[in-house]
Amino acid sequence: MDFLIYWLSNVPGFATPFALGVLGMIICERSGVLNLGAEGFVLVGAMSGAGVLISVGDLPLFALVIAGLSGSLFGLLFGFLVTILRVNQVIAGLIMVFLAQGLTSLLSRNMDWVNKPFEGLSKLNTGIFSEIPIIGPIIFQQDLLVYCTLLFYWVAFYFLYRTSIGLRLRAVGENPEAVDAAGGDVILLRLLAVIIGTFFLGLAGGYFTVVVSKIWVDGISGGRGWIIIALVIFARWQLSRALLGAVIFGCIEALIPRLAAIGFQLPQYFVLMMPYAITLLVMVWSNLNPKNIKATPSSLGRPFLREERH
Amino acid sequence: MSSASNINKRKGVKLEVRDPMSFANKFIVLILSIFTGLFISFVILILSGVSGSALWKEFVVYIVTSEKNLSSVLIQASPFVVAGLAAAVAFRARFWNIGIEGQMIFGAIAATYIAINDVGPEPTRLLLMFIAAGFGGVFWILLPAFLKIKLDVNEIISTLLMNYIAFNFLLHLLYGSWRDPSTGFPNSEQYDVSEILPLLGWQSLNFSSVIAVLLVIILFWLFMSSRFGFVLNVLHASSDMARYTGIRVSLVILIVTIVSGFLSGICGFLVSAGIESRMTQSFFIGFGFSGILISFLARDNPIGILVVSLLFATLVIGGQSLQVFYQIPFAMVQLMQAIIVMCVASSEFFIRYRLIFSF
Repeated sequence: MDFLIYWLSNVPGFATPFALGVLGMIICERSGVLNLGAEGFVLVGAMSGAGVLISVGDLPLFALVIAGLSGSLFGLLFGFLVTILRVNQVIAGLIMVFLAQGLTSLLSRNMDWVNKPFEGLSKLNTGIFSEIPIIGPIIFQQDLLVYCTLLFYWVAFYFLYRTSIGLRLRAVGENPEAVDAAGGDVILLRLLAVIIGTFFLGLAGGYFTVVVSKIWVDGISGGRGWIIIALVIFARWQLSRALLGAVIFGCIEALIPRLAAIGFQLPQYFVLMMPYAITLLVMVWSNLNPKNIKATPSSLGRPFLREERH
Repeated sequence: MSSASNINKRKGVKLEVRDPMSFANKFIVLILSIFTGLFISFVILILSGVSGSALWKEFVVYIVTSEKNLSSVLIQASPFVVAGLAAAVAFRARFWNIGIEGQMIFGAIAATYIAINDVGPEPTRLLLMFIAAGFGGVFWILLPAFLKIKLDVNEIISTLLMNYIAFNFLLHLLYGSWRDPSTGFPNSEQYDVSEILPLLGWQSLNFSSVIAVLLVIILFWLFMSSRFGFVLNVLHASSDMARYTGIRVSLVILIVTIVSGFLSGICGFLVSAGIESRMTQSFFIGFGFSGILISFLARDNPIGILVVSLLFATLVIGGQSLQVFYQIPFAMVQLMQAIIVMCVASSEFFIRYRLIFSF
């Protein structure tokens, strides 16, 4: 029982960055922009969050906001490449990953941010609630961003499904020609989606350093950006399934360090490869269901070339 | 249509599709955009505290004037060429092989297995390592290829995830049973002389350059004049069209991924047996991404890959001295590659469109 409570109380912390990242990816890809640069935006956010804490001071929430904004700033470049210059979206996404890996490594060395531990964001003090047996540790001993993430999901749901600009954004992902004919600005809508989406990817990255590791080293995201992309496919670009996927993945990630405690003896490096192997399994499982293929936004990855229509 | 032109007028900038550009003009745009990328990179380096004259010396003077550095560039270029070819083959069939690094790891693991266990007589050892490396790479691409063909699982993500699995398996070996018994360091024991690619007689240039050039020729023939190359062209143009003309698309994808995995495995072999003489825990880093970028810059053309690889190898050799003398992290090389590719990718916009300003 203690094991179960301890395990479940760790789940939100593991699930939150995935939930934030997938949220960003869905907003971006619902507009038809295929974003394979997730790993890059996560890295940029992670480094910026750490940088603020080291160079500016112990302001974890400010650091998280900056992490998100720097994700957006980097996203602006990505958006410029794919919407205005119409660069192949696969290539542009990969370029963003390489660019982010090089840039974060260079900048963090120049600013002397590498391997400097900081205090980061601690758990929220919920007073008496945190002492309730069982649900206390699981629900009330978490950091602020865990609760904010649920709020973000609610706002995003409202934005995408209850506002006219959300409707247009989704329509652009399905049929940009129709939105164009109706007087919507396809490029502006997609840029907006990319900027909002990469904000949440940057925030997810900030979570990895500001809340989880409390230190920056090169390549700290370790492929989690790619896991986020796989979770989007699992989620079929739907917010409710995204939250579910993030929680399931959080459960698995929280369980892995504790496998030895419940009697599974695996060599260290086999334990470390498990998140990637499980993500692969998730992808296989998602694609066994034909509904997934239909769920893909119809214009995903296809640039909008108005001048070339005849 | 009138509403569309109104919107364009309001913005003040209008796009117009150009007539197809001549090959010479396209080439000029390509060179210009590569130089733009180099310029941006050099500005970043100067901002990081490297003087302009040092850059000129490290990236141009020392490489052209010193035979030793020139041969280092050629040695570095060989695995780049093979990685670029591995990416190009797969891209020809619209299969994005982002897992070159994982396949390199398994190629090197297979070759190293032959080397440490002294499989086969000494004269055929290198040949065995070569073949084993190729099949090691094939082994590691088969699962993503199968998943792509049978279940349409996105190969970009699956091949990339396989990289992380391969890397952890490599660490498992190098921190476990394959640790160098003589030094205790986490890399394999040094290969014997019969397991290292022989020198060609000029500086430290070795047989890996010959292998790279041979593979370029073979793939050039495959792409340009073989029947299979024609099938690939049809498939690249449109997979629907390929299906209608009776091409068995999944069979072609399977063949292409096997070739791509084989080449990636060879790339791992060239680094281990041609540069490092052992399997280290970081030998593969950067080759996968570089391979993809090289192939993109060269438009999947084997001869172009050869040329771009030389450029990338120059960046690496120059970057290595910047690392030693100016403490610039090696990731700067990756950054430069990404910036150059970004400029070239953006330049296609100007090849296709003309901007018309009307204020």
